[in-house]
Amino acid sequence: MPKVDITVEVCGMAGDGTIAAGGMINEAMSSGGYYVLGFDSYPAEIRGFGRCVTHSRIGSEEISALQEKTHILISLNDEQSRSRAPYLDNGAMVFFDSRPSAYITEDQSLVATLRPDSRLFGIPFSDLATKAAGSARGRNLTALGGFAAVCGIDPELFRHVITTKFESKGQKVLDINIKSFDAGYDYAHQRFSERFDRLFDGLEPDQGPKRVMLSGNYAIGKGAIDAGLQLYFGYPITPATPIMEYLAKALPSRGGRVVQMEDEIASIGAVLGASYTGARSMTATSGPGFALMTELITHGVMAEIPAVILDAQRGGPSTGLPTKTEQSDLHAAVFGGPGDSARIVIAPTNVSECYSFTVKSFQLAEKFQTPVIVLTDFFLDNRVENVPPLHSSESETRNVNVFPNDAQQGYYKRYSDTPDGISPRALPGMKGFNHVATGLEHSEKGAPDYSPENHQKMSEKRHRKIQSALSDLFEPEEFYGSSHHDVGVISWGSTFGSVLEATRQARQMGHNVAALKITSIYPYHKDTIRAFMLKCNNILIPELNFEGQLANLIGHLNTGDVHRLNLVTGSPIPPGAILSEIVKFVDGGSK
Amino acid sequence: MSTERFVIIGNGPAANEAATTLRQRAPQSGITVFGKETTRSYKPHLLPDVVAGRLDAEKIFASPEDYYNERDIQLRLGQKVVQVDFNKYQVILEHREVVSFDGLIIATGGKPRIPEPLEVFEDVMMTLKTTEDARLWIDRLARVDSVLMIGGDLTSLSLTRALINIGKKVFFIIDAESFWPLPFNERLHQEIHARLREKGVDVSSSRKIKRLTQLSDCSIQVETDCADFEVGIVGAFFGLVPDVRFLARSGLDIDRGILVDENLQTRFRNVFAAGDCAQVYNPVIRDYWVSIGYDNARTLGRIAALNMLGGMIAAQASPESIFSLNGVQVNTSWWMEF
Repeated sequence: MPKVDITVEVCGMAGDGTIAAGGMINEAMSSGGYYVLGFDSYPAEIRGFGRCVTHSRIGSEEISALQEKTHILISLNDEQSRSRAPYLDNGAMVFFDSRPSAYITEDQSLVATLRPDSRLFGIPFSDLATKAAGSARGRNLTALGGFAAVCGIDPELFRHVITTKFESKGQKVLDINIKSFDAGYDYAHQRFSERFDRLFDGLEPDQGPKRVMLSGNYAIGKGAIDAGLQLYFGYPITPATPIMEYLAKALPSRGGRVVQMEDEIASIGAVLGASYTGARSMTATSGPGFALMTELITHGVMAEIPAVILDAQRGGPSTGLPTKTEQSDLHAAVFGGPGDSARIVIAPTNVSECYSFTVKSFQLAEKFQTPVIVLTDFFLDNRVENVPPLHSSESETRNVNVFPNDAQQGYYKRYSDTPDGISPRALPGMKGFNHVATGLEHSEKGAPDYSPENHQKMSEKRHRKIQSALSDLFEPEEFYGSSHHDVGVISWGSTFGSVLEATRQARQMGHNVAALKITSIYPYHKDTIRAFMLKCNNILIPELNFEGQLANLIGHLNTGDVHRLNLVTGSPIPPGAILSEIVKFVDGGSK
Repeated sequence: MSTERFVIIGNGPAANEAATTLRQRAPQSGITVFGKETTRSYKPHLLPDVVAGRLDAEKIFASPEDYYNERDIQLRLGQKVVQVDFNKYQVILEHREVVSFDGLIIATGGKPRIPEPLEVFEDVMMTLKTTEDARLWIDRLARVDSVLMIGGDLTSLSLTRALINIGKKVFFIIDAESFWPLPFNERLHQEIHARLREKGVDVSSSRKIKRLTQLSDCSIQVETDCADFEVGIVGAFFGLVPDVRFLARSGLDIDRGILVDENLQTRFRNVFAAGDCAQVYNPVIRDYWVSIGYDNARTLGRIAALNMLGGMIAAQASPESIFSLNGVQVNTSWWMEF
């Protein structure tokens, strides 16, 4: 059976219902049994301005990245969709409104920019929606109807999604939307003799559990709740806000609370305060907010207070590119803040890991009594994947606080210098374990102590503790590994998906290439990474930042130079760009 | 006019020859070709062989895929012009896009003609003018054994030969007006009749279609004034009519086709027509003549382009490979092959 691997884009102006339409494609195709990876790009401004584009890669096999070429474009606004023309594959199908409300000029026309081999499906979206439902507002659904008819997709998949989305708004609203969809479906079915009824054939029966469609942000929120989150403190910022929105709805019913603070400094302060009492708490922010938090994060390091901080990276520096993706907070996450303030930094690479890493971050924070930073990025936060149902075991969520034993009552050393650096932590109210938690350098008992010997010893203890976390952190994972490789590609975060696809393509071309996924950013597994590097003639580290921040961190482990691919386009690195770099090294070059 | 914007409506041989000529002679100009079909220019007389499976569909294209791109000719396929405003020099597309031009060549060719008495059965009958038609024929022929051909134009004869070659039973009702707008003369009528019979075709020249009834996907009930019978497909082949209906209210002079002078110019400055859609004035006979056929269309397309750029070339009424039918010139290459 042929493999299905099709990318569908919906493009329109903000307010056209573009994102909603793309979301419904994802949901419908997911419920049809396909693997789906969806991602939306939209302007930073509020409704009514700028271009919105949804990307849906739909496949019969698991998907790890977006494709560079689009096979089907659904245009809700021709002028905006013109920008997508260069990304269309040969023979791409293009759905567009064939009866716009006003005459357009060539420089506003989408079809004027298309290659001759494009397959055009002009459908009067607005007219049909207005005729069917009394309003053109449902024209995005009319477009989906046309798409479903031409591509041979069961309309019931869409009707079910529409029903799920609108039934809570009343029968009238639901009817309008169903009618709008049906108008497009019926029109296209009758109008176009050229249909592609087998386009999405190629699905093997899936014996596994029914997959659910989740965004990275949703998975983070669910992971936090499943981990026993009690208190969330935050301040809205793109792209982390959906986490707070989700938790605001879901957490109170589970006995937790969400508090919107006055800013990010207050948020991290509140998290540290709550965690100090033993409550599982977290905050989520993005680069600018993270910068504000850094001083208090180092307070958590010094006072050895657990905290979970999610940094959803976006284009920077400063306000930067609020709705574009980037991986440029790695330095800040690992090194940001005053002093030698080692902390744990982990970075998931897909939606499932957004869930499992969030769950894990609470145990790491508790056990190692330190801030744990979960580094995601705009692409990872906002993309949707249909994944197996997410759940965690009792062992993954249980309390792992290291409390002092009764024998320590009376002469309790809160910061005792232990072999692994982990000092048993007493919570406020535990009788007989009085202590001071302070940002000042302190002795084992917590009393301020600025002596050179003490600062040396306590610095060593804190760093030893962080290094001891390595055994609890995920080892780097090698893909397509063997004893020797011409090229080894190392990556982290959402870029790993592109690396995996590029590596697979390179191997299909006959090249000896392997990939290494690093999810433990700090501390990191030096020996494993070095061993991988030793097997490879060339090391390539693609990153969505300009400075090559992971390469800066681990490059010293290689005996030769590491090659960098640093893109800051605001978009995920295309697998093809990585593949091109790989191919450059295959026929020559050695370390 | 070297930097002007030229628009060509149509994507057949006349249109593409015109575009090529314009590019050669006016390298700085902008050239846009609008074709309402979704495929690039092809040789329609090869469609019967495609239907019969004797020729790969990819082999009928008139030029390579990159032809237009390499010549910086903007080819806009599947985009239908529905109106031309000769006051503003703008074409208007079906999807409400307005495109301005300095010079226009109309080369829309022809579309299958269905005689008025048979129009009511239009949905039941098939034609063969486009690649999409060919696809439908291939699809249907896979499920039927017999075909009734009505008419008798050049395409029908070529297709009949192809159908016989693939083992289909062919019935043929010859219609005297198949070469519309020209009637068969008696000699030609008899010659076609005889040749069809030689090929094993069940021919009748006197039957009138009374009713066609679609019984199923692969069966049509045919009722004539003489007999009733069932066939799998009914094909209608009554020649072509100029595809110019969209210009009816444009102000152009239109009889059956667009009336142009011997230089192929319409009544509007810098607006020309070429190929099957044009009726060309012949100052010798003081009347208009029509041209059909692939090579003739190319010739007219080239002349239109040269005249657009300032030439004064008169179209010749008697190019090569022409068959004389009642004193009017018709390309007979298909017929000769048959």
